[in-house]
Amino acid sequence: MALLKYESQVRPPLVVGDKDYHQVTEDICRPVEARPSTLWWIGFIISVLMLLFGVVSVTREVWFGTGQWNLNKTVGWGWDITNFVWWVGIGHAGTLISAILLLFRQGWRTGVNRAAEAMTIFAVMCAGQFPIFHMGRVWNAFFTLPYPNTRGPLWVNFNSPLLWDVFAISTYFTVSLLFWYAGLLPDLATLRDRAKEKWRKMFYGITAFGWTGSTKHWQRHEALSLVLAGLATPLVLSVHTIVSFDFATSVIPGWHTTIFPPYFVAGAIFSGFAMVQTLLLVTRKVLNLQQYITIEHIEVMNKVIVLTGSIVGIAYLTELFMAWYSGVKYEWFAFEQNRVNLSSPYGWSYYIMMGCNVLSPQIFWFRKMRRNLYVTFFMSILVNIGMWFERFVIIVTSLYRDYLPSSWSTYYSPTIWEVGFYIGTFGLFFTCYFLFAKFFPVIAAAEIKHILKKSGDNYKEQMTVVEEESVDQFVHDTAH
Amino acid sequence: MAIKKFVVGCFDDEQVLFPAVKNVRKAGYRIHDVYTPMPIHGLDAAMGLRDTSLHTAGFIYGIAGTTTAFSFITWVFTTDWPMNIGGKPFFSLPAWIPIMFELTVLFSAVGMVLTFCYLCQLAPFVKKDHFHLRATDDLFVMAIECTDKTNETEVSQFLSNIGAIDVTTQYKETGWWLGRYDKETQLFGKPTEAVS
Amino acid sequence: MTIREQYVIPKKYNMLSMVLMAIGLLSIIILFITHGSKSGAENEVVRARFWAALLQNSVYFLLVTNAAMFFICATTLMWGGWQVSFRRVTEAISACVPVIGIITFVILMAIVFGGDHVIYHWTDAEHVQHDPILLGKSGFLNKTFFTVWTLITLIGWSWLGYKIRSMSRAIDDTKLTVEEGRKYMWDNTVWSGVYVVLFGLTVMSCTPWFWLMSIDAHWYSTMYSWYTFASTFVAGIALITLFVVFLKNNNYLELTNREHLHSLGIMLFAFSIFWTYLWFDQFMLIWYANIPEETIYFKSRLQGPYRGIFFLMLIINFLAPILLLMTRSAKRNYGTMTMLCVLILFGHWLDFFQMVMPGPLTDPNTKLTHVPFMLADFGIALGFVGLIMFVTVRSLAKWPLIAKNNPFLKESIIHHT
Repeated sequence: MALLKYESQVRPPLVVGDKDYHQVTEDICRPVEARPSTLWWIGFIISVLMLLFGVVSVTREVWFGTGQWNLNKTVGWGWDITNFVWWVGIGHAGTLISAILLLFRQGWRTGVNRAAEAMTIFAVMCAGQFPIFHMGRVWNAFFTLPYPNTRGPLWVNFNSPLLWDVFAISTYFTVSLLFWYAGLLPDLATLRDRAKEKWRKMFYGITAFGWTGSTKHWQRHEALSLVLAGLATPLVLSVHTIVSFDFATSVIPGWHTTIFPPYFVAGAIFSGFAMVQTLLLVTRKVLNLQQYITIEHIEVMNKVIVLTGSIVGIAYLTELFMAWYSGVKYEWFAFEQNRVNLSSPYGWSYYIMMGCNVLSPQIFWFRKMRRNLYVTFFMSILVNIGMWFERFVIIVTSLYRDYLPSSWSTYYSPTIWEVGFYIGTFGLFFTCYFLFAKFFPVIAAAEIKHILKKSGDNYKEQMTVVEEESVDQFVHDTAH
Repeated sequence: MAIKKFVVGCFDDEQVLFPAVKNVRKAGYRIHDVYTPMPIHGLDAAMGLRDTSLHTAGFIYGIAGTTTAFSFITWVFTTDWPMNIGGKPFFSLPAWIPIMFELTVLFSAVGMVLTFCYLCQLAPFVKKDHFHLRATDDLFVMAIECTDKTNETEVSQFLSNIGAIDVTTQYKETGWWLGRYDKETQLFGKPTEAVS
Repeated sequence: MTIREQYVIPKKYNMLSMVLMAIGLLSIIILFITHGSKSGAENEVVRARFWAALLQNSVYFLLVTNAAMFFICATTLMWGGWQVSFRRVTEAISACVPVIGIITFVILMAIVFGGDHVIYHWTDAEHVQHDPILLGKSGFLNKTFFTVWTLITLIGWSWLGYKIRSMSRAIDDTKLTVEEGRKYMWDNTVWSGVYVVLFGLTVMSCTPWFWLMSIDAHWYSTMYSWYTFASTFVAGIALITLFVVFLKNNNYLELTNREHLHSLGIMLFAFSIFWTYLWFDQFMLIWYANIPEETIYFKSRLQGPYRGIFFLMLIINFLAPILLLMTRSAKRNYGTMTMLCVLILFGHWLDFFQMVMPGPLTDPNTKLTHVPFMLADFGIALGFVGLIMFVTVRSLAKWPLIAKNNPFLKESIIHHT
């Protein structure tokens, strides 16, 4: 009998351990149905504590005003906007994995997309906090919405990149959430149909929306996923592009450069993948999912990291070169004096950025390093530190010396409440992630089943017959 | 909404399922639906389902989004409250592209998901009858609708012959109703007699 | 089904490519007589018209053919399987790189060392002394660096392209086991990686700055090289598609079908949008910040005589693909795809035209530029098309049309979009 699905044996299997459909369901649902482990409780409680610290910090900021932060007259954007851009960047990998890799037919995405998408949503939630509270009078945040009002009606400024951000981030959050949830429906139905306890039947019964697995529904579901992927691809590009516009539309030296949009996108993918690595390395270990998130998945993501890291490197050098080439002395001053000059107040941050983002990922040119879990974990942290410093360098080194040298002396360093806000978003992020990992399947079971007979190790072994056929014979066999 | 009688056959391999679907259709039985735990490419075509036009709907929603953004911003900045921003013309199209794009995507995505949920009757608290609980796990469940003339035993025999591993006869509601999965919310008029 | 592995060049096709090359040569001669041969210092601008036409065409078609090798390497790095059934076509197109590379090199050297300075102002040593901006750039914009980098670029592309092509051919007679297949893929991945690194350092950074951006020597844009890459990559995909369709029409490439065409259509669609995205970013940021040093570039293009070409190119390169390639059936239709590919190749040629021409054609006294009579440019473009047709099929005919021992060929056969 002709095989329904064929994949070259040269490709490594994506699911190992001799799985069949039922085993996939069991493996993926088991962590959800089991009682939370002690490790989970410890992690969860720490996250909640961090979140509480954040709540305290933010409450102080709302109560006393932005004076709680050390922002000063030149550095009007500091940690808050740095963190905003950093979190938004992290929020790119999920949609990238599920959308762009779906369009590029990268089979390995099925193992990691669910967790990455969840991470995206939580990261965007964290990112959104910063500009909102940066406004100062947060109770007026709804002023950013274009609604008929009693102020004139004075509309919002549609020409402002900051308003584009409002639209971009909220659209991105909505679409990512819909995409993620649409993918979750079949798996939630699986959990519902397996549920023994009453509360599970109720919870998964409500969240699965009455999914049955009807062929017609699957057909529409596939169409929906494909179009949403098609929409999410330019969307994910547009979001960080618009974030980069916040800087690049200005005339501030070091900010106004045309390469910013694609370079921000590449950087976002870079940091997003690093964060996915961090989370998945832990998740696969704790939830025992090494057979679905294999070393091959880790390796290929490391390849993406070295690729995007190098693209970011080209962009760094390009803007440095262009600052010199342009002959604009202010532009060159921002780079030569405020960034490259190691003895300048913030020179160190430029070198952290260069070291973590451009130099260190180059070790992933070596296969041994790509497949080493400890190196990968260490690198994923390093990259995220580097990417945080990228935004810090862009924002602070361009701002702290403005056109008026008399205001140059102020050295900006954050207060504890500024740092606390950042820690709080970590708390929010990990609290959400822990809850997600507990109540939702972290791997898309239906999608794994879909590729199982093509990429499962046991099924791949059976393909030897096909592999040895001549091309003519193969064409003949598959013609029917 | 109606309660009907079905002969239900379960398959455990899509390589058996495909010929089975073909044979059942050839034999003239009416397939109510096939429930599968994952999407199976080509099954919709094998069952003779027509292609979905969800894409077209998405396109229309998208265009609606573009138009909304463009016309609204144009009205605001050229008619309702023109503002001089950085010396740019009132009609500053390049600056509006980002929002026009975002609204295109937003309208299209939200519209499509809502349409999808409407067409498939998916919503929280929606309850439906299921033919087999393992249809979301590892079984492919084919439900054949019975009419007055249908001979159940013949259909059951037929399904067994073409590879079904488990064949049953069930009375099921074909529509949906509001309810929770942890409670037995009976639908009015549902027969209580055991299926013979 | 029998697979025709040996491509035989049809006589008519040969004839056509010769005729096109003759048209190209004739156009060059005519343009040389009317513009290039004018002597005297006062005619420098007139001579620049001739050289700018050669520069625009040679660089454009060189980058487009080189995009074919980038296509191979990018898909190899991603371990793509679907493109293997027509891999030889992409290889054959990339074989044009050394040929057009030599032509481009001669033209570039003639412009840089020819004694005229209209196209590349920075070659005028005396002028640079009085121009503080150009003086500041002279560490980069100088004849030595230009020549060295051009050589590195051209030799690197040609040699790595040759290397990757010969690796593919080396396994034509040996059926690979799975282990050997992995080894083969590993080697290919490594060399593709090397190529992509070189590509990043040339096409995505210094090369377009030298060849194209330095025409407007005062102007700068960090996006420029990435933009050039996107432009030529879309055109490269269009060229690949055209050859695939051509071979299909001649009953070759039995293993390539509508599914592959569909995938190519998706790429064409996606990268057209990508190009538009980069175009918009560059334009909008310059428009928004409104700094005179930067907006000067768009002055002659958007508000000057190039306005028509500028918008025509936007319509062809953005609106046409996004509207016509939206549906599934359009991407699977040979007619629609062929028409669009021709259109896109022309659209990006126009894009290059408006990138190159306004600078050299600027009158030094009035500082105004103009759109030249374009007939000769079309002629030269046709000549390059003929050359690509001529070289590509010769490479195709030399080797089997199907890379039949490629480990992913069977995946490509059952490719389903």
